[in-house]
Amino acid sequence: MAQPSTYETDGAGPVIEAKGLGVKFAVNRRRKRSLREMFIHGNKRDPNAEGDEFWPLRDVSFEIGKGDCVGIVGKNGTGKSTLLKMIAGVLIPDEGNVSVHGKVAPLLELRAGFNDNLTGRENVYLVGSLHGMSEKQIDERFDDIVDFAEIKSKFIDTPVRHYSSGMKVRLGFALISQLEHPIMLVDEVLAVGDKAFKLKCYAAIDRMLANERTMVLVSHSEKDLRRFCNRGLYIRNGSLALDTDIDSALAAYNKDTKAEVEERKKRDEAKKKRAEQKTEDGKKPEDGGEPGRKKDDPSGGGQ
Amino acid sequence: MHAAVRRIAFRAKRTQPLEVAVASRALAVWEHRKVVGLLVRRDLKVKYQQSVLGYAWTMLEPLALTMVYFFVFGMILQATRGMPEEAMAQGGFLLFLVAGILPWNSFGSMLSEAPRAMITHGKLITTMKVPREIFPMATVGTKFIEYLLTLPVLLVFVVVLGGSFSVMGLLVWLPAAVLLQFAFGLGMTLFLSSVNVMFRDVERMVRIITRLLFYGSAILYPAVMVLQAGIPGWLKTVYQLNPLLGIFEMHRAVWFADFAELTPTAIALWSSVVGSFLMLVIGYWTFRRLEMSVLKEL
Repeated sequence: MAQPSTYETDGAGPVIEAKGLGVKFAVNRRRKRSLREMFIHGNKRDPNAEGDEFWPLRDVSFEIGKGDCVGIVGKNGTGKSTLLKMIAGVLIPDEGNVSVHGKVAPLLELRAGFNDNLTGRENVYLVGSLHGMSEKQIDERFDDIVDFAEIKSKFIDTPVRHYSSGMKVRLGFALISQLEHPIMLVDEVLAVGDKAFKLKCYAAIDRMLANERTMVLVSHSEKDLRRFCNRGLYIRNGSLALDTDIDSALAAYNKDTKAEVEERKKRDEAKKKRAEQKTEDGKKPEDGGEPGRKKDDPSGGGQ
Repeated sequence: MHAAVRRIAFRAKRTQPLEVAVASRALAVWEHRKVVGLLVRRDLKVKYQQSVLGYAWTMLEPLALTMVYFFVFGMILQATRGMPEEAMAQGGFLLFLVAGILPWNSFGSMLSEAPRAMITHGKLITTMKVPREIFPMATVGTKFIEYLLTLPVLLVFVVVLGGSFSVMGLLVWLPAAVLLQFAFGLGMTLFLSSVNVMFRDVERMVRIITRLLFYGSAILYPAVMVLQAGIPGWLKTVYQLNPLLGIFEMHRAVWFADFAELTPTAIALWSSVVGSFLMLVIGYWTFRRLEMSVLKEL
């Protein structure tokens, strides 16, 4: 969103371009490191970084063209949300760079920016303006937003702290779906609200996609992914394993998951077998030892 | 030495030169000035909306404290000794106290909120791409407005106590005091808000330091009393090196411009000018330096 006045995408080129993206986290944050050292060397020269660091994502490159809807799949903790954050520009990569041409509507955290002490109306104006809507635009769409969020008119002027969590999320979605930014980043937020509201969200996203907008979606719901996406990125162990259509990406993901489940089952079985063997081997001495201890316990607890 | 030079050269080649980076960032902040305004307006709204007497309450606390200080320091401990005779006719010790305590109040609350300036906006920062500086800036902006809101109360005291308006006071000391106070405050806020994300103990430290600065910056007594006291000379110099001493002496010099005893000494003056500028540079540098880690940590 910080791109100053050059929101126009120049027709052909990719809208989102990631080159060799990588980000690292320190596993054990080093409290012992002196402040002086930190300020002089910054993060680049961390003396005990080696070994303590962890790359949730590394060496990820891709291009996303205008009008694409890309689904990102992968196990929990493989850096899907981290990737989305880097595209949104709210996390700075340690390696590589990502360039985004156009304003980004981040549907990452729908309640972000809501202040509990302000009313629903005030929050809509505040968050809408934070996302770059003008007061006039909000004026025009205010009724649509409230209507979409299904918030009764008597509640719109009460402080948001009295809202239910569902109301807050609905209001957040209703507001952000009114943004006209050409790029949307969606992180698992389609699962908000009840069934009826979900259907409305789907319709809203369909409408946005029909408008030649670009979307990147992180989700665990295969149905959602298949419904919206024409392309899939499969992230495995922090790197881009596959960049194809959504069906193949999901197929690869499912295959890996199945293999993993199988392996775990095998391991569990082996463990069980080993345990059984152990108990069989050591049955006799254990039988002898157990009752004696049990007898001691109540007397000890009584005193 | 060589390694350092090479590293700087390497970095400059890899990214943009420093001036360009700072300038483009400043431009981005300028483009988001509306957002700063929104955040300030929100903070003020929340603060003053929650109670019916919002504004009255925020004024009542410093004024009640002023009365306590007036009795304890003025009447009992005789801090009035440091005031020149003629100054007593121009508002006296009470005006002296009010003119220091009101700006200190906004400065102190800025310091106490500074460490949380980034943390409270964690969700916003991790979803919206805006130059991150705007959050500390909004905190400082809110405090600036709150400071402006204390001026009417101060003026009432000036008029009632018979304070004098002087050209020197209004055109030199007042702008200088406000400019330096908020430059220093912005530097502090940038520094504290980012460092506190990494080391949360900073918040507690700040509380103690604020209290020490309150007594060290001569809010409750004329600074001359320390300078004329029987303490070693180097201690007096150290005392005057506190940039806040000069800043708050300026705040009071607005109403007592004619009295050399109540205007900052040369050392205090220079340390407040240089100190504020340095604090701003250090604060901004630290903020940018820690930005990547802060984003990961939030």
